[in-house]
Amino acid sequence: MKAETLLKVENMTVRFAVKRGRGFGKNAHLHAVDDVSFTVKCGETLAIVGESGSGKTTTALAVARLVNSYKGKVLLGDTDLLALGDEDLRQARARVQFIFQDPYSSLNPRLRASDIVREPMDSLGDMSEAEKSERVDFLFNAVGLRPEQQRLFPHQFSGGQRQRIGIARALATQPELIICDEPVSALDVAVQAQILNLLRKLQKDFGLTYLFISHDLGVVQHMCDSIAVMYMGKIVEHGSRLDIFNAPQHPYTRALLSAVPSVDKARRAQTKRILIPGDPPDPVNLPAGCRFANRCPVVQDICRRDEPELRNGVACHFPNAEL
Amino acid sequence: MALLSVKNLRIEIKTRAGVAPVIDDLSFDLDAGESLSFVGESGCGKSMTALALMGLLPEGVGSVASGSITFDGEDLTQASEARLRALRGNDISMIFQEPMTSLNPLYTVGEQIAEVLRAHQGLSRKQAWDQAVELLDAVRIPNARARAEDYPFQMSGGQRQRVMIAIALACQPKILIADEPTTALDVTVQAQIFDLLQDMRRQTGSAIILITHDMGAVAEMAERMIVMYAGRKAELGPVDTIIAHPRHPYTAGLISCVPHILSTLTSEREDLVEVPGIVPALQDFGKDLCLFASRCRHAQPKCVNQRPPEIAFGNTHQAACWRAEEL
Repeated sequence: MKAETLLKVENMTVRFAVKRGRGFGKNAHLHAVDDVSFTVKCGETLAIVGESGSGKTTTALAVARLVNSYKGKVLLGDTDLLALGDEDLRQARARVQFIFQDPYSSLNPRLRASDIVREPMDSLGDMSEAEKSERVDFLFNAVGLRPEQQRLFPHQFSGGQRQRIGIARALATQPELIICDEPVSALDVAVQAQILNLLRKLQKDFGLTYLFISHDLGVVQHMCDSIAVMYMGKIVEHGSRLDIFNAPQHPYTRALLSAVPSVDKARRAQTKRILIPGDPPDPVNLPAGCRFANRCPVVQDICRRDEPELRNGVACHFPNAEL
Repeated sequence: MALLSVKNLRIEIKTRAGVAPVIDDLSFDLDAGESLSFVGESGCGKSMTALALMGLLPEGVGSVASGSITFDGEDLTQASEARLRALRGNDISMIFQEPMTSLNPLYTVGEQIAEVLRAHQGLSRKQAWDQAVELLDAVRIPNARARAEDYPFQMSGGQRQRVMIAIALACQPKILIADEPTTALDVTVQAQIFDLLQDMRRQTGSAIILITHDMGAVAEMAERMIVMYAGRKAELGPVDTIIAHPRHPYTAGLISCVPHILSTLTSEREDLVEVPGIVPALQDFGKDLCLFASRCRHAQPKCVNQRPPEIAFGNTHQAACWRAEEL
């Protein structure tokens, strides 16, 4: 595997203005993604995991510039995507493509499957009509759809097949980075396996790099080379697949892992469920100190005062504390 | 005698193409205090079974064509609407999948819990309210007395599901049906809800029927499971036995197609075992063949000619597959 870095995100912050009270005074800001940095190596998969509201989808959207970042850098190779102007950005879009969560709402119901797959090439590429048709044929074959299905409309496909169309569309412009936002969570379990196997096969065949967003730790474990765990807009732990799953350090990561129900009897017997009571804090009025402090089983005074920084892959004052 | 006994139940649904059996010849028993789980993909009849037990089949669309549902010696398929209304929420109650949409947004959660108690146990407004507060406390909502006056929109998803559990358990039902109670929730919240359900079951002695597609949840929550496929029972037996050695290829597929977190992870990553294809369409449900045959790697000519019988392994374990003994 090549070791060069493809995507480098530096201190990215995304914030949204929210109205509070009766409209007087300053608008408050919700920091959905707060000072996040990570890298993805060429040909590898980085997973961002976290619960709903942790900012993982916003991170993905911001990397693809589908929402605007407030500050930070997104370096794809040597280009900073956040600094690009209109036409340069349009060109750069061919290099980053997106697979969306819900295959029912992310395909245009009025277009035939072949046109859906062709569309990115129409707007982003400079191929001739014949080349485009050839590439559509090739992509349909690569994602496991039959050639005669090109004429059909989205409603004539099952959920798994629609997701295959979404994947073919993402591959159309031969992107370097593909962002998969919960690509299987809307699918039935048996169909999930088909799509996950397909994504891994495509990665091997075409040398793709994935930024993989998911809340399902089982899926993440299967798909990824490294993992970033997010909580309330911050990365709390970032490490390789084996480190995170075999030796998690942050109490939140450990609670998250212990909460996943398992069919493995040995694992059930040896994991003690770490319960984190309560709810996450209000994202607009974040408390001082560590954002996880109000639910953390090993919280101490310093946690409520100073915000821990990401050091050695973990943002915690007391990593590996006895839980 | 079993608390609930379902015998040869057949539920038909009217479709444009004719009548289709969404539940086809389903039989099972449930003992008092037991925890049973239904597993399968969507469209396999899990939720339909639950609705049939509650007498809540969509009127004019679905109906019980034959078979019986015997609860405490009484056949629910013959019971009057009034009798069913007395049972629902009192002896059999249900938690639905979406805690966002199954609460009434116009009433406080306290009123919604108290309503059940007033309707079924004839409590006064004051008594019912007090008990509602106690129930909220029992499902571990902090500061219950104040939170009882909250409306559903003021609560998080996990808290709403706790309110649903409080409503379902208000009358200490003999059976609690939980239809995918945690699919809309985060994993840490799911773990809290599962713990709560287990505790409540221990305290009230209710039997739990858990409907899910997550084998991990089944392994953690249930003692016995029924695997449903296309309206038919594919396999029934103790959870540990089935997970250790599934006899039906569909069960084996359901277990191995999900990437599980194992006790120690290695750098090896095998491809997932795929179950190709999807659940057959409703109009194919009644056919005299194994409906799984088109997706099965062990299929033989026999499988597409005749519906497989249930083959028993000991007293507690059955699988409906022609080749169950070899697998």
